[in-house]
Formats: sequence, structure tokens, C-alpha cells
Amino acid sequence: MNLQVKIKDAIFDNPVCVASGTWSYEEKYSDAKKIRKLGAIIPKTFTLNRQQGNPPPRVAETASGMINSIGIENEGADYFISDKLPQLKKLRVPIILSISGKTTDEFILLAEKLNSDGEIKGIEINLSCPNLGHKVLVAQDARLTEETVTAVRKVSRHILIAKLSPNVTDITEIAKSAETAGADAVSLVNTFNALAIDIKTRKSKIGNITGGLSGPAIKPAALYMVYKTRQAIRLPIIAMGGIADSADALEFIIAGANMVAVGTASFLNPEAPLEVLSGIEKYMKENKINNISALTGSLKTQ
Amino acid sequence: MLNCSYKAKIISNKKVSRNFFILKLESPSGFKKPVPGQFINVRVNEGTLPFFRRPFSIYRADPFLEILYAIVGKGTEFLSHKKKGEILSILGPLGKGFSLPAKGIRQIVFIAGGVGLGPFLIYADKLKEIKANKVLLYGARAGDLIPPLEDFRKNGFKVCLSTEDGSKGKKGRVNVLFDNIDKEEKQSALYTCGPKPMMKAVKDFAVHYDLPAQGSFEEIMACGIGTCLGCAVQTVAGYQTVCEDGPVFNLSDIVF
Repeated sequence: MNLQVKIKDAIFDNPVCVASGTWSYEEKYSDAKKIRKLGAIIPKTFTLNRQQGNPPPRVAETASGMINSIGIENEGADYFISDKLPQLKKLRVPIILSISGKTTDEFILLAEKLNSDGEIKGIEINLSCPNLGHKVLVAQDARLTEETVTAVRKVSRHILIAKLSPNVTDITEIAKSAETAGADAVSLVNTFNALAIDIKTRKSKIGNITGGLSGPAIKPAALYMVYKTRQAIRLPIIAMGGIADSADALEFIIAGANMVAVGTASFLNPEAPLEVLSGIEKYMKENKINNISALTGSLKTQ
Repeated sequence: MLNCSYKAKIISNKKVSRNFFILKLESPSGFKKPVPGQFINVRVNEGTLPFFRRPFSIYRADPFLEILYAIVGKGTEFLSHKKKGEILSILGPLGKGFSLPAKGIRQIVFIAGGVGLGPFLIYADKLKEIKANKVLLYGARAGDLIPPLEDFRKNGFKVCLSTEDGSKGKKGRVNVLFDNIDKEEKQSALYTCGPKPMMKAVKDFAVHYDLPAQGSFEEIMACGIGTCLGCAVQTVAGYQTVCEDGPVFNLSDIVF
């Protein structure tokens, strides 16, 4: 049985990843032997400079999901590269690094810093970031997306994955821009804009007032966007958005995803990523599918 | 995939006062010996309702893993329906616990309000052999909301009570009991858990009399293991996570 997935010249043993910001790779918590079975890990987004993050409360639970507004709290690129990345490499699992910048120049600097690294498998460009001088997020504007990806493409030697936001009128337009700009893949979706209110205090349950919704609640909407994007572009798709079990993951693969990422579900069930992998294997065996590529985009429309 | 993830069998789940329950779990094989102040993150129901696990201080670790809880919302409501023999998914022991009192400390004071008693019995067990003047200051809204406290007395603690309605102990909030603290000698160590205004009062007292004080904090939590950075608390060094940097912090480090 072949579960291998290719993004340009990078080969992943299987299509199952863990999504950005949802897994602890620290030795004291994580079982490296098990993590090694995954197709890839995508650690939490880091930025050029240290970011302190948003005021608490930063998370709130909702029906079958959660809202978060963390504010990409991180120690900055230099700390990540010198302290965190070597630890991640010890896990001996393919690593896709997620970066975000406040300006195109920041993206360029980040990409350049990673050029000397020959071990990472790729860079996910988190485009859900405000762009100075514009009211929208980069990922909400086709032209800004194209500009940013083009700029990173120009300087980076790595495989580039553009991470798309669902908070747009037509995600396929943004996906096409990323493709035109030279991205090697797209990942979708990031969280949906959301709000939850405590009626006792009439305050938002999130310190930053609004946040992003993730978890099973968003799965059907994310699936729709993956399906639409599959029809619009030729690039490989890494799909995420509420995947909690192998049936969820298979839906995304059938809709057109080449890889899938488990995110929020891991908080509830830390075995979820591996259960997704073993469930996909079982499904392929039962349905006599020898190559995962035969499943990708195999949705029957009549 | 986590090496702090366990299945734990319920030994009992009993109501111990008008509002409190004690859940006793069989300590799963391989479960590390907890430090007082550490917690477990419990999946209180199958499926996605409620969506988050619920963090609980470890109330006692020997011979059974115990938590003290009150029904305050959906999560604890679900938990209260769990029966003997059922299996719960737990992560733990998590976070940083209390630091033992420094040498030369002659009085150890626990200051707890309501369900804030949660991290203390395991600590009283641990301090059993330590020769010091040990005091528990406990505040509740009413007398019938006070959980059983004999085990603290058995561990050599003097128990002082306050209730807001005056039905038991001294009338008022737990700060009316602060006169039991040996402030003059500067040889007391304070440990607190409870509502934030109470912990703030303990901090102010400790700062004023220059006493070492630690508190166990709570925030809404998604992962429990320092991944999501959801449970941020403001400290003098910037935001820190309750789940990994805490839940126990030096009170002087917390920005209330």
C-alpha cells in the first residue's frame, strides 16, 4: 500500500500532518516514536521579532469547536531557529515551518534566514496577517497574496505552501494568485472569524473581542472550500479544518486534498493524528485502494 | 502520542458537602508521582460537548488520585454523572507545583477559598513530617459549603474558618483570618488558591509583611500542556501560561 505524497520534489511517507500551533513537541510530553509515524509536522507560526501575544482570555469553547485569539505569541525567528528547531529535528519527522510577517520585507527576511537549512521540507506562509497600510489581511486580497508569495518565491530555496484564510468571498481566487506567484502547494483553511459573548458580563469571551473558530464545527465549510479549490488550481492541497478522525480526513482527500492536517482535535484526543493515519490505511485496505493518489479528488458527482 | 496521556478508572465519585464532590481515580500505571500543585486535564465526556478538557488540581495522590470539585458549569455537571468503574481520559501530572518552604520557615499557611482548597490536601500529606506551625485558613460563602477538613487536622494543621454569612467560623471573607499569620517574625510561608480578589489580598498582605507567597491560578485552558498558549496570565515578565509555567506562581510575579 502506498501512502506517499509528493509536493514538488519533497516526498512524505503519508498524508497526515499535525497543524500549526496544536501540538507540543517537548520531550516531557511527546512520544517521539509515535510522532515519527506522521507525514509531517507543522510547528506553531513564528515571526521575525518576538511577539507577546494577545490579552487573555485567549480561548473559548463553543459548540463542537473553539475560538482562539493568541496573537502568534512567539520568541522570534532567531530564538526559534537556534533553540526550538534543533529540538524538532531530533524527532526525525519531516518538518514544514510556518512563518508570518507584518510586511513583505519581513517575509523575505524570514525566508532568507531559512535558506541555509537543508533539512526542513518546506515553508508554510501564514498569510492571515495584517499588512501595514492595508485594511485587509494579505490572505483576503488576491493581489497582496500574489505579491507576498512572489517575493518569498524569489528568495527562498524551499518548497512554499501558501496558507489560505476562509474569511474571503471566493477562496479559489486567492488560491489561483498563490499558484500564479509560484507557490508549490496551498494549505486551507485557517480559522473562521468568530465571536462568543458572556451574557452575564456582556463581554466577549475573548480578550481581543474576536477570534478564529476551529474544530469539528467548521469542517463542512472547510471541506467545501477544499472541493472548490481543487477545481480551480493544479497545486497540491494540504487540507485542515475540523479533522477529528479518519472519516473526516478521507472526506477531505476525496474532495481533493493531497495531505491532511489534524489540529484542534488533538486537544481533546491526543491520539487523533495517529488514529487518522491508521484509519486511512484501514479504509484503503478494505476498499482495495493501493495508492492514496487514486483516492485524492475521487469525489463522484453523479 | 503524548506520554502524559492516561486512562484512569473511577473508584468513586461522591458528594461530600452541599456543593463539593470528590472524584477518586485509580492511579494509572506509569502515572508520575505528582508534585503538590500539579493538575490533571480531564476529558469529562465523550464527543465534543463540552469541547475542552477540564483542568483540576490534584487533591490527593495516595493511595488514589483524587480531585475536589464543585458543579460550576457544563463540564463539572458532566463529571458529576460519572460512575464508579467508568474510564476517564486524563493528561497529567501537568504544570509546576508549589515549592517547599525554605529552611527556617516556622509557619506554613494555606489560604483557600471555595474550590480553591483543590491543590492542598496532597500538600498537607507531603508536609506531614515537617515540624512547623501549620495553619489552614479556609473561607466559604456559608457553613454548609465547607468540605470535610479532618484530613488537614490529621496532618497537623490548625483549621480556621470564615463564612460570608457568618454561619460558621468568623464572619467575612478569608482575609478576616489573616491575624492567624505570624507576620512579625517573617518566618511564615503562604500558599493560596481561590478567587482572584482573594489571592490579590494575599499578595498585598505578603508584600506588606515581606513574606514568601505562592498561588495556584486558573484560566480557561485548551491543551493543558503549553502548546496552544491559550491560558495566558499577565506576569511581571510578560504573558506566561497557567498550564506549563504555572499553575503555581510566586504571587509577587503576578500582575492582578
